Amino acid sequence: MRSVPFALAAMVAMAVPAVAEAADPAVAPVQALDDGLIAIMKAGKAAGVKGRASRIAPVIDRTFDLPLMTRLAVGSAWNGIAPADQKALVAAFRRLTIAQYADNFDGWSGQSFSIDPNVQARGSDRLVRTTLKSPGEAPVAIAYRLRQDGGAWKIIDVFYKNSISQLATRRSDFASVLASGGAKALISHLDALSAKAGG
Amino acid sequence: MSLPAILPALAAIAAPVQAEAPAPEPAIVAVDPRWFEPPAVEMETPPPVTVTHRHAEGDPLEGFNRRMFAAHEAFDKAVFRPVALAYQDVVPKPVRSGLRNFLRNLTEPIVFLNYVLQLKPGKALETAARFVFNSTLGLGGVLDVAKLPGFHLPHRSNGFGDTLGYYGVKPGPYLFLPFIGPTDLRDLIGGQADGLVLPLAVGDPFDRAEYQVPKGVIGGLDTRAEADSELNTLFSTAVDPYATLRSVYLQDRAGEIARLKGKHAAEPTSPLDTTLSDPLSDPLADPAAAPPARESTAPELSDPLADPAASSR
Repeated sequence: MRSVPFALAAMVAMAVPAVAEAADPAVAPVQALDDGLIAIMKAGKAAGVKGRASRIAPVIDRTFDLPLMTRLAVGSAWNGIAPADQKALVAAFRRLTIAQYADNFDGWSGQSFSIDPNVQARGSDRLVRTTLKSPGEAPVAIAYRLRQDGGAWKIIDVFYKNSISQLATRRSDFASVLASGGAKALISHLDALSAKAGG
Repeated sequence: MSLPAILPALAAIAAPVQAEAPAPEPAIVAVDPRWFEPPAVEMETPPPVTVTHRHAEGDPLEGFNRRMFAAHEAFDKAVFRPVALAYQDVVPKPVRSGLRNFLRNLTEPIVFLNYVLQLKPGKALETAARFVFNSTLGLGGVLDVAKLPGFHLPHRSNGFGDTLGYYGVKPGPYLFLPFIGPTDLRDLIGGQADGLVLPLAVGDPFDRAEYQVPKGVIGGLDTRAEADSELNTLFSTAVDPYATLRSVYLQDRAGEIARLKGKHAAEPTSPLDTTLSDPLSDPLADPAAAPPARESTAPELSDPLADPAASSR
């Protein structure tokens, strides 16, 4: 019976890439975000900034851990902020994140994202590396740090050029206003930025 | 390192396309702590504790730097940006890229020298080859033929600031200087040394004002114009553009130096790899370490290099 080993070989050959593809659950949210971004880029100016925001909002809610990102960006001052203001900060951070993606990803001219299937584990977090390719331009490395939350992997930080952390930058960005005006001042600054971005 | 080197380094939302809004006004730049009175709002809990320090860690000259930043921004808005955009408008693209390539080609000997100093003969040879191809086939450097697929020798940036960092010299105090932009003491000294290489080694014409002045003006206008949309994006997404630029600059430099060191490390590491082994300091993770954060932890939060979520080791 020669057909049995052949069939086995064929099954193994098919199984290997399938296993590799299903590899890491942390890839899925990054893929969803990248797909969502390409979709709003293709929707383009015709959709308007509001239209793009309403399309990307559910994707961002699903793929980012926005409450955790807000806490981390605020830092240790978080525990001294009233619960109502904490809630408002998370809402303002969410609104700004959505508005800025919608504002910046406003047209498509052949860009694509590629995701490195080699997901790296770092402690309990995962690191997913991606590359943004634009025709005629040097590729840009964008990496995502994910953490598991209630069984789902969520993005908690974005690294530009593998070295610039969005969380670290935001922490620096927020520190001065937080120190001088507290949570309420930061909330109004974030809302003003969102309004300026059209969200 | 010059301003243009870090401008493409937008915070995470790298805009692949131009924003549709024309140059947003940096309306919210008033972030000097002294400009704010704490709002008289009722708060159930004590106000945040992150205050008390006049400057962020790594930025002991923050007061001076913020004044320089404000002066630079005012000059940029009134003169520099309009003139740079006019340059971009008036001068045809091939002429601008030709000048850009020509000036950059003249930096390749400095890149070469620093690869030698870092004991990286392979990269040094590639840089030398790039310089030779572009200086000859590229008509004196006007055409960047070396980056084409046949040669595949793209420009790499390197300088004395990198070499100092490579051998362990810390950045020192962060600086923002008009016309120079974001830098630090190490990179400022390194940049000045970079600028002296050709005048000292070759002399005429590189030590003459007839070369230096047009080089500074054309190079400055070109880099400002090319960086415009990215700069707009970076600043229009920031609560505190000064602090955002500082953070992005310091992280970017730490990343570049870590990459230079990477070859010699036991395993190829990026700053990302090393920081990910540290758990994030999620304030909610430890409610016992609750409210009054120790004063000493406050400045660390605004210093990306001391930040566990940030780069460097």
